[in-house]
Amino acid sequence: MSNSHLFLKSGFPRAPLQNGVGRYVCQLQRITLKFCKNNGSSRGMRDFIENHLVDFAKENPGIVVYVKPRRHRTPVLVGEYLNGEREWMSCRNNTQEEISKWVDLLKTQNGSSSSLRLRKMWHTDVPSIQGPWTPFLLRSPESQGQVYPSEEASKPLETPQTATEKLIELFRQQQLEAGEEAHEVLNKKRAE
Amino acid sequence: MSFLAQTVRQVLRQVPNRSSALAGAMRSLSISPAFKQQNKPAAESVDISAIAKDHQKEGLEICERINRQVAKSEQGRLFAVVHLCGKQFKVTPGDIVLVEGYWPPTTGDEISLDKVLLAGARDFTLVGRPILEPGLVVVKATVVEKTLSHTKTHFRKKRRKQYMRINFQRSPHTMIRINSIELARPVDGKSEAQESPKRLF
Repeated sequence: MSNSHLFLKSGFPRAPLQNGVGRYVCQLQRITLKFCKNNGSSRGMRDFIENHLVDFAKENPGIVVYVKPRRHRTPVLVGEYLNGEREWMSCRNNTQEEISKWVDLLKTQNGSSSSLRLRKMWHTDVPSIQGPWTPFLLRSPESQGQVYPSEEASKPLETPQTATEKLIELFRQQQLEAGEEAHEVLNKKRAE
Repeated sequence: MSFLAQTVRQVLRQVPNRSSALAGAMRSLSISPAFKQQNKPAAESVDISAIAKDHQKEGLEICERINRQVAKSEQGRLFAVVHLCGKQFKVTPGDIVLVEGYWPPTTGDEISLDKVLLAGARDFTLVGRPILEPGLVVVKATVVEKTLSHTKTHFRKKRRKQYMRINFQRSPHTMIRINSIELARPVDGKSEAQESPKRLF
């Protein structure tokens, strides 16, 4: 069942030997095709060897291709890589197209496709260029010198005016108006 | 006939209201910032053109400083946020990025990632709205590996229903090495409204 992942190795994406920094180097060095000359299970392999193998070898001069007939055994693909790994793959009853697909996969891989669970889809040697973020980044110096607990900082940003405050304001306005009226009256009297 | 004329008049009367309602709906849908959409006349006391000019001057000055730094090649290492196969990656030269799922490029292909959302160096950042002008920042990458992921188990079970399915699957992965990030041409303070007609997307 799915407990197999308990023992599955996990890792991070890596490319061997800085591959692709200057140019791309194909990591597959040798490929061996083993098949039987008369068994039905290696018919697809025989077709592949007849139709596509020469083209494949011409297209990829860096890969050594071995073909190994053997009696009454299942067809097998074996790839050997620059890092010394070796991938063995059974191709029993596979068609020609399937085999060409698997060969392509062996060619484009960097090593044997070991069951490695990737923890990240990204790898970098330089994690930060402008410096890592901190909570004090781009903050005003006042907020950094703030001493807690402070009354100003603990207030909510927007408080609606309470009824009492409104009443007080109205009362003050009235008083002001009354004061102005009184002033006017006084001025009039003075003028008289 | 008179009845028809009446209905037409009613419709005509309704039209201005409707158009305003539609405009409101469109305003809520559009992406451009809110301050652009306010159709109120601005207060007369504030001279907007002068402020805009000041802003433009400041922007141009900043662009000039960036250009000077780039011309002297003192900008150091560049980084960029690129949009790749539906995901966004922060990349810098030498990085490895993995693309999940089927993706046509094969190993050894050198590609340039065109959807650059943001580019930056130690002292400056260029932010795209949503992407930078095409051709301003060139991000080059090489496809390093195409492989399959580990075998993922897809297990379903319904209790007390004699139902159990187990499926295995491996999805294709493509590994990309970021080779270089460069500022292709000097930064100018103009808006990115003018687009080259060559691009289809």
